[in-house]
Amino acid sequence: MANAVIMPRQGQSVESCIITKWHKKVNDKVEAGDVLFSYETDKASFEEAAKVGGTMLHIFFDEGDDVPCLENVCVIGNPGESFEEFKPKSQDKDETPAKAVKAEAQIPVQVQKTADDADTTRISPRARRLADKVNANPEMAEPTGPHGRIIERDIERLVSEGKLATFAAGGADEIPNISGTGLGGRITTADLAAKVTKSDMPEVEEIKLSNIRKLIAKSMHSSLSEMAQLTLNASFDATSILEYRKLLKQKGEAMGMQNVTITDMILFAVSRVLLNHRELNAHLTDDSLRLFKDVHLGVATDTPRGLMVPNIFNANSLSLAEISEESKRITGMCKAGSCSPDLLSGGSFTVTNLGSLGIESFTPVINPPQTAILGVCAVVNRVREAEGKTQVYPAMGISVTFDHRAVDGAPVARFMQELCRALENFPMLLGK
Amino acid sequence: MPKSQFLDPNELRKSGKIKFKDIPVNTYSKTVEEESKNYTKRDFMRIYRDMAIIREFETMLYEIKTKNNYNGVEYSNPGPAHLSTGQEASAVGQAYILDKDDFIFGSHRSHGEILAKGLSCIEKMDEKELYSIMEGFFGGEILRVVENLRKNSGDVKELAVDFLVYGALAEIFARTTGFNRGLGGSMHAFFTPFGIYPNNAIVGGSGTIALGGALYKKINEKNGIVICNIGDASLGCGPVLEALNMSVMDQFTKLWQGSHKGGLPIIFNIFDNMYGMGGQTYGETMGYGQPARLGAGFSPEQMHAERVDGYNPLAVIDAMRRKKQLIDEKKGPVLLDVLTYRVTGHSPSDASSYRTQEEIDAWIKHDVLEEYSGKLINAKIAPKEEFDEVRSRVRELITRICAAAVDEKISPRMDLIRDPQAIEKLMFSNTKLPKLDERKPDVLMPKSENPRVQQIARKVRFGLDENGKPVSKNRVYQLRDGIFEAIIDKFYEDPTLVAYGEDNRDWGGAFAVYRGLTEALPYHRLFNAPISEAAIVGSAVGYAMSGGRAIAELMYCDFLGRAGDEVFNQLSKWQSMSAGVLKMPVVLRISIGSKYGAQHSQDWTSMIAHVPGLKCVFPATPYDAKGLMNSALNGSDPVVFFESQRIYDVGELFHEGGVPEGYYEVEIGEPDVKKAGSDITILSIGATLYRALDAARILEENHGVSAEIIDARSIVPFNYDKVIESVKKTGKIVLASDACVRGSILTDMASMITECCFDYLDAPPVVVGARNWITPCHELEDEFFPQADWIIDAIHQKIMPLPGHTANRNFTENEMLRRARYGV
Repeated sequence: MANAVIMPRQGQSVESCIITKWHKKVNDKVEAGDVLFSYETDKASFEEAAKVGGTMLHIFFDEGDDVPCLENVCVIGNPGESFEEFKPKSQDKDETPAKAVKAEAQIPVQVQKTADDADTTRISPRARRLADKVNANPEMAEPTGPHGRIIERDIERLVSEGKLATFAAGGADEIPNISGTGLGGRITTADLAAKVTKSDMPEVEEIKLSNIRKLIAKSMHSSLSEMAQLTLNASFDATSILEYRKLLKQKGEAMGMQNVTITDMILFAVSRVLLNHRELNAHLTDDSLRLFKDVHLGVATDTPRGLMVPNIFNANSLSLAEISEESKRITGMCKAGSCSPDLLSGGSFTVTNLGSLGIESFTPVINPPQTAILGVCAVVNRVREAEGKTQVYPAMGISVTFDHRAVDGAPVARFMQELCRALENFPMLLGK
Repeated sequence: MPKSQFLDPNELRKSGKIKFKDIPVNTYSKTVEEESKNYTKRDFMRIYRDMAIIREFETMLYEIKTKNNYNGVEYSNPGPAHLSTGQEASAVGQAYILDKDDFIFGSHRSHGEILAKGLSCIEKMDEKELYSIMEGFFGGEILRVVENLRKNSGDVKELAVDFLVYGALAEIFARTTGFNRGLGGSMHAFFTPFGIYPNNAIVGGSGTIALGGALYKKINEKNGIVICNIGDASLGCGPVLEALNMSVMDQFTKLWQGSHKGGLPIIFNIFDNMYGMGGQTYGETMGYGQPARLGAGFSPEQMHAERVDGYNPLAVIDAMRRKKQLIDEKKGPVLLDVLTYRVTGHSPSDASSYRTQEEIDAWIKHDVLEEYSGKLINAKIAPKEEFDEVRSRVRELITRICAAAVDEKISPRMDLIRDPQAIEKLMFSNTKLPKLDERKPDVLMPKSENPRVQQIARKVRFGLDENGKPVSKNRVYQLRDGIFEAIIDKFYEDPTLVAYGEDNRDWGGAFAVYRGLTEALPYHRLFNAPISEAAIVGSAVGYAMSGGRAIAELMYCDFLGRAGDEVFNQLSKWQSMSAGVLKMPVVLRISIGSKYGAQHSQDWTSMIAHVPGLKCVFPATPYDAKGLMNSALNGSDPVVFFESQRIYDVGELFHEGGVPEGYYEVEIGEPDVKKAGSDITILSIGATLYRALDAARILEENHGVSAEIIDARSIVPFNYDKVIESVKKTGKIVLASDACVRGSILTDMASMITECCFDYLDAPPVVVGARNWITPCHELEDEFFPQADWIIDAIHQKIMPLPGHTANRNFTENEMLRRARYGV
């Protein structure tokens, strides 16, 4: 049986060895113990002796070749035996092993200012030097160094934004945050004087943003900057729902439904229609659309602290009365500031109503990662032609903003159409 | 390890016994009459005079120390004075047969030996030679002082005695007119032109150094023998035992060839005064009974050990004659145990709480001067009056010298206010010495025929091929080749150059740097040392101070502790403690490991940097390794040459054209900009360079930040110019090395950069070092040694937050403070 001779590994760090001399040729008789070849590493020279006898069937590498350790170097066996199976891997193909990707736990870095840091303006000596040199006011710089320290790049940004003072103006006690009229946008002494004499500048009061305002700002900005939003507008004949509302007001007390509002009815209609348009009852993530089995309706609520959107979960299985009751409960909690955070997330679709404030049409902003939002507008009287006569009817506008990345315009239009029809025939919807 | 020696199990497994010979104790029994054949009256009287000079010299110091007054000379000496009163016969007896070619190395209690050896040399030298030595030493400064003391006396030998006593005493009183400009002092005084080599304040310190002196004599076939004067208490010191063991290595007689075959020319002379400071070696801290017993343990010849009565100068001379004969027959080394007793305390502040007055009085009854003069009077060699006259002349001599030595005008101290660089100038000799002897170097073959030289000739001397791809490890000229090339070149130039350490011969050094040297060099120039780091380094110190050049090797940096005293107190100090008289051309190669855990992976460069007097380099590329080794080997200073086992196989990636084949030097102390950049500077030491380069690549590719990489190359000295220039440009710097971060030299550098570049800094300099832990196993090393991503994280957290970067490691101040609080 044929046997391969490998290039031995001489030490853990040795990856390959150079064959310096062959002592046997192909077809030579080999006795166990015969020196087959000499080889060397970068550190030392060695000789490889045969461990079995036989005939040298094949030699894979020449003198001077750099052979990876543990690779087959030659084959000893009986004349005529095949050596193909011992062919070294390195002569098969040029493969580069894939590098293992290291997964590591990540510790987030905190570079925000701590309370301690807030007291003083920190500035590196280098940034201060540069500011002096270019007559920039470090107070104008936005710090990006550790501990809110102003570093060189922050002053450089002032330079690139032209927020500089001339040498003479730099002597002023304080360089205001105004744009300059000097060379390269430098603030000049004239600019300083102008600032002082300008009496028509409006007085302003600065109010620090509340946390919720900051959250809203962030959420709305990311909504508009990251999605492909557009809005479709439509209207429907509100006669049916207005009449039903009237009916409830007059006779609903017995059933406890006297306080059901137009909005409640729209919520109800949405909860019934939406499941026929599932891509609008969905969340869009980077690479998938998550379609919800039930409708979790967000109700945009105006509170003293700002906009909040509590959710009515599983609205599709609630009756109109139940939806009305739940809506009042959760919006009431928001207004009182006692809303549980659990109610504020997990919505699949949002309804916002500016109609009560007389808005006739608007572009609601999607509540990410939802794919659409319904805006409810005011009721206005419109004229239409029916059976050759002109008649006036109450028209209610709806505006649906949707994420074009998730869904196209026509399906949204079909949703709006179905919703309008349902609202125009509200009693039928109730009976469904 | 040599293949020529066969370890035959059939022989080695046979039963038998180890036999010992008797060790003679105090066997000298000749009478003065019998010795009259060997000594003239003048010889007998000179022995007495020399002992009297030592006695009076020590008495003077005792009086000065305890009463601030000697014979009317007022002086207060705050420095040390370890007196040898009572031991005079042992010193004079030893020196009697020695001349200037014989080297003595001593201890903290060696005033007597200096004086005895000097007096013996003066006796043997002709006047012309004597005068020229005195005239040539420090430009005749000491000579002029003593010439003024004895106006118009034409006797050069008398003048030389004044010179010797004054030079020694001025040294003890720390005067610039002392033998070592007062920088050595009482415990280190010496005068090499008389063959008096350094005394040593570290107990047993001379053990390994004297061994090196003997190696120098033997290897370079110089005249004379070496005496290692150490005390009985030093036999408890590991380095002394290492030196004894290394001095009897079999290879001297079994492997060294030709005229170099044979034993070492050294006498380990144990002055057995039976006390350490207060610890009594005989009966308390040792168990050997008499030090002579030790000889039996070290070699079949028992080191020709013998104990002699050091209270009889004639007995000591007799022993010295016989022992020197053995050494001349190449049968050394010898262990001589000289019984003696110090009547005074360890120092004048010694209350002798550890011994009785009865014991001291008993030895005073045997007083060497009284007993010796009594015998000579009885034998009618000379009448008592002549001895009294000697004593009075000696008292006059010591009084005169003492008065001169305490006189600020005649014997000033170094003025460091007026000349603030006076000591600084002596820390390094900074001399280029291409070779230390003119003879032809002993080699075994022409360099061009050396197999390693031929192998290197086939290698590619730049690390990248024409396509910018790395050349394979086996074909590229590696860092280890750079070190080898510099060393073999110097072996063919400087005949005194020797290299030794563990596994240097045959194996070629543990990391194959010396592969090929075995074929090129005879045993006496490249040999294996026992696993005795203290003896390896200490003997290199002795070899160099005797006049040769040595490369010593510590296989792992972690073994530095084993040679602590030899590196920190000996290698580093003798150039400056000798006021520039001695040179120290030693290259100490130290290899820093990795992969092998807590005791084989430490970077202790900072410890070396901390100790004044050592140059320290750590090359990271083949070009720098060869150039720095050339500089180190061509100089006259001790250079600790760090190497990293991570990068012995790297090719040259920076120096255009690759590593030159010919000679060139990289100046020690000059860092090198390995990569130019504009936004941040990274200063690295040693193998960390390659991780710094990785960090630079990440910074550039992921963050658009351009990093400038500076390789320190040297640690001591260090020229900051390039670093300061770079930091003024970038305003930001990270310093990185594999040393544990606490106490790292990098923090020293960071502090210097902060001082010099404060107004230019955009953030504090940040040091990224290894954790203050044990080095864990190889698989966990990336969490211990700085990695490229650590550098990025540190920049992100401490210098300049990098948008989009998430740090994996915590470099925040709070974390650093926490670690400091717990000492981790």
